[in-house]
Amino acid sequence: MKSINRLAFLTLVVVGSLILVQPVIAHHSGAGFNSAEVKEVTGTIKEFQFKNPHVWIQVLVRNAEGQEEEWSVEWGSPNVLARQGVRPSTFPPGATVTMRVNPMLNGAPAGGFIGAKFADGTSVGRWQE
Amino acid sequence: MTTPTRRTSVSLGGVLQAKFAVAALAGTLALIPGSGYGQQQTDVDGLPDWSGAWAMQGGTVFDRATWTGGGGAITVGSRAHPPYNAEWEAIYTRHVDLKDQFLLPDTNSICGIPTGFPRIFNLPDPYEFVVRPEQVWILTENGPNVARIYTDGRPHLEEPWGTYTGDSVGHWEGDALVFTTIGLKGWRDQDQILDRSGLVLSDAAHVTTRMRKTTDRTLEVQMTIEDSGALTKPWIVTKTFEKMPAGTHLFDYGCAENNRNPVDPSTGRTLMLGPDGEKLN
Repeated sequence: MKSINRLAFLTLVVVGSLILVQPVIAHHSGAGFNSAEVKEVTGTIKEFQFKNPHVWIQVLVRNAEGQEEEWSVEWGSPNVLARQGVRPSTFPPGATVTMRVNPMLNGAPAGGFIGAKFADGTSVGRWQE
Repeated sequence: MTTPTRRTSVSLGGVLQAKFAVAALAGTLALIPGSGYGQQQTDVDGLPDWSGAWAMQGGTVFDRATWTGGGGAITVGSRAHPPYNAEWEAIYTRHVDLKDQFLLPDTNSICGIPTGFPRIFNLPDPYEFVVRPEQVWILTENGPNVARIYTDGRPHLEEPWGTYTGDSVGHWEGDALVFTTIGLKGWRDQDQILDRSGLVLSDAAHVTTRMRKTTDRTLEVQMTIEDSGALTKPWIVTKTFEKMPAGTHLFDYGCAENNRNPVDPSTGRTLMLGPDGEKLN
């Protein structure tokens, strides 16, 4: 995707996501995620599972011990997100990304999606510097 | 603003689904030998235009009018206040306690269980209301689900046996669809709640529903729920739907496609699964 188109597309995604992040995540019990905490992890996209009932972004993150750890980041339904402009190509495998999530209460490498920022400075979801 | 056509209520966004549904239903009706019902009428003049995609307003709290504690259906400390009798108030109170501990599973998370009536009016994601002279279909993307309301003059089933959406028959009063629903399984098999706070009905529930457009872009659904098993008096619940932008696209919803939040049947907890299927919580 050309950079200007990508920027316009991601802007649309950001605006839509501002409205929809909370309701779509709320489909399931929120017991797993700590909604009071925001954690930032940086890694490489392994896979974007654009499937029902919720999409999952798999991210390979190098932890403090230098070991690679796979994070699972849950977002909303692909249907809702698609109507907001999100596509399976939104998180391309191999892309470097910083994710902001509500982490798991038990410390497992997973979280509820808040926003993401790519290496080129574009962002998806709720992202404020 | 253009005047909406009254010729048909099949939305553009749902035209393929509607065509499929029409073909399927027409085929089914044609197989009823000697039936006085289901005659294939083609004149839809006089029926209201409910075309397009619609979104339920106000979140998935089933009864916002009696809701206390604020927030949404899973907010800790929140609950509705239906006119339950003591036995069913105790059931609901237990559900609310479990919900507050995040241990009340949403029966919709057991992928494959349909959303029954009246929860079918309490779902996120778009709706379509397909109006035909002989039937009205409520189609929900979430699920997906379908509820059929027969308006061809047939009576209720003589011995309904309790199903998720029950048996609905109705008629038109001007631009309002009025129908009654019986034969609901309710909480009999413990697989139908009305929202995630754990509201339930018994299998004696009888619902009278009145649906009508209150503005060009607003559709109101008022349900009067009578339940000799669970309620001490009629419980009136109103849901409102707003028309979504023209051309709104609806999609598949295969809950089992990649459900990484299954319910643990031994604890009632909603699980979180990793990419390898191992539990993360």
